[in-house]
Amino acid sequence: MSDQAIVPDRQQQLPIYAKAHISSAIRFLRQGLPRTGIDNDQARLVIGFYCLATLDILDALESASSESEKEGWRSWIWAQQIRGIWGSGFRGSPGAATNQPASSEYDPPFLIMTYAALLSLAILRDPLTQLDREGLRKYLKISQREDGSFKLFPTSEEYDLRMTYCAFSICSMLDDWSSINIPSAVTFIQSCRTYEGGYGQEPNNEAHGGSTYCALASLHLVPPSSNYAGSSALLTPAQHAQTTRWLLHCQDASETGGGFAGRTNKVQDACYCFWCGASLDILGMAQVVNADANASFLLECQFRFGGIRKDRVSNPDPYHTYLALASLNILSKDTTNPPFEEALDPLWNARASTQLWLKQRLHATPATAAPA
Amino acid sequence: HGIKRTKVDAAAIAARREKEKEKLRAYLESEKEILDLKEANEWSEAALQLTEQFLNTNPEHYTIWNYRRDIFTKLVFVSWTPEDAYQRLVLDLRFTTSALKRYPKVYWIWNHRRWCLENTPSGPGTEPDSKGEEGIDGWEMAVWSQEVLLVEKMLSLDERNFHAWDYRRYILSHCPPSLRRSDADELAYTTRRIEKNHSNFSAWHQRSLVYTSLWKEDPSQRAPALDQEFELVKNALWMAPDDQSGWLYHRWLVGSGDDVTILEKEIGVIEELLEVEPESRWTLDTLVYYKRLLMKHRSEQGKRQLVEECRRSLETLCRIDPMRRRRYEDIGKRILEAYSYNVAYNIQGATL
Repeated sequence: MSDQAIVPDRQQQLPIYAKAHISSAIRFLRQGLPRTGIDNDQARLVIGFYCLATLDILDALESASSESEKEGWRSWIWAQQIRGIWGSGFRGSPGAATNQPASSEYDPPFLIMTYAALLSLAILRDPLTQLDREGLRKYLKISQREDGSFKLFPTSEEYDLRMTYCAFSICSMLDDWSSINIPSAVTFIQSCRTYEGGYGQEPNNEAHGGSTYCALASLHLVPPSSNYAGSSALLTPAQHAQTTRWLLHCQDASETGGGFAGRTNKVQDACYCFWCGASLDILGMAQVVNADANASFLLECQFRFGGIRKDRVSNPDPYHTYLALASLNILSKDTTNPPFEEALDPLWNARASTQLWLKQRLHATPATAAPA
Repeated sequence: HGIKRTKVDAAAIAARREKEKEKLRAYLESEKEILDLKEANEWSEAALQLTEQFLNTNPEHYTIWNYRRDIFTKLVFVSWTPEDAYQRLVLDLRFTTSALKRYPKVYWIWNHRRWCLENTPSGPGTEPDSKGEEGIDGWEMAVWSQEVLLVEKMLSLDERNFHAWDYRRYILSHCPPSLRRSDADELAYTTRRIEKNHSNFSAWHQRSLVYTSLWKEDPSQRAPALDQEFELVKNALWMAPDDQSGWLYHRWLVGSGDDVTILEKEIGVIEELLEVEPESRWTLDTLVYYKRLLMKHRSEQGKRQLVEECRRSLETLCRIDPMRRRRYEDIGKRILEAYSYNVAYNIQGATL
């Protein structure tokens, strides 16, 4: 019995409206978001990342933008690198810029923005020579709290698994884990695990698809050579089974389903198709997922004139657009005719060539061979 | 006729675009005005007003929240009377209440409330201190008790808003001691929410947190509580066997399956339910899971029996829940492999 027959009315899957998504991403990069996106103004950098990553995954960056445009974007991103008392990192936009000394309390670097900046620059093939590595190391060190978690910015009250993932990703990109305390970070990750089998954003929170991805990716990014005593970072067989189970049951099995929900008893949403789908891939269980049903749902979330929605009715946005494509990519990579040029690495959330670029520019002994 | 309509539409579109542009212009102008004031170290009530208007439009502008708090720190708490400062904080709490109604998931708003609570000055009223002199926590008591009410209101509007649940946990652990809820009270609260709606997973989750901390403090409480909880969740499972919340809670109660009495009893309870609902996905799925746990307590023959039962259940599951067919096939394979390995090497209690 083929999986396609499971959802009988969806014999023909919709195509990916690649051209529309490309022009939508380019439009946002060139003109910004409409007024309805005002509340994202402080987060411009990460919105830009989702647009760039969309172009990257669709293999369209070269053709859709000029060299001078790319240079402009690279410069804009570098203009958000700020140095100060907390080391160096990136902020989300110049919206908080002041005449005061750089990276004051008003204008700190953000961990999520720093992560997005590095990936964006790699997608744009920036030589990364302007990166203040020393400052970045200092910033990472300062960002970590005693309980092992990482703060959104140095004076922030927010510290959850999203920041842990960003910190671990940055260390992976730099191939330098010297500025963080891995064992305490791992302890924090494990303290976010719930009896459902997933991981909440913080201890005591319900299991959530996004933070489950952050937890699993972080645990698997820890370099095996890292010299810390104590139990392995990875899951026990029982935990592995339990997490797999929770993730798989997040997939909506109704007639109009196929997508993944983000928490127990919530509704399907395109972004969780990535958070949960990629999590299953990290656990080595992607082949157990009903990828066809997932794809059917996501393709129906597309807006014909560009962008992908979280469901079939809301407005599309860059975040859901990229993550929907990423989910399609991850869950189709082992099929005979994957619709994407290159597979995404589920831990780095970047395509292989972008990952290679980062390694070549930032690792001490860069990988010269093609990635495995 | 057609031409006129097109003209009107074009004019309407142009008018809308102009309006949008104007709104954007006004927004950017307002942002600049406020940031310029901040630059100039202007700590004034007028500036406070401006930030309030702005934050109503864009509550995600963290810099302007910061500026607002700085005005409090550098003006209100310094130059105003404690009474006036308190009243101003109360106004801020009211302001964030209406902001939260429109933006219930914006971190900055929740954070600002926390900040207001933590910076409430001491004020007259309530309990006299040990010397019999007038109490000094009247204002704190007022704001904190308001918070408990507010967060419960938020939760009745959206029972799954984890920001609100988080905030509730924060309130209950940081409020003045006389306002703290006992664990019994908290359990009663979750019972009410669960009775109102069995699929309120967040309420079940909160319940598990209360018990976890209770049992950590006093492990002897666990056994009697379990009896009661199994009864409670059994009701939920019978009323709504298709709802995942009760099943997950049940699994949590059963735990690792080391207590074979509990395991056998609960398998019995669930098999009863299965007789009434033979094609219930959660029921079958849970049974397979518990029977796998039971295998470690069984002899060779008992194991064989359980393997066969699981195989049949998994077959049904493949049919009624085809979305996860491959998962059930995978489980079936693993059970068989572990069982064969068991038999071949005569190993007791191997993990399946």
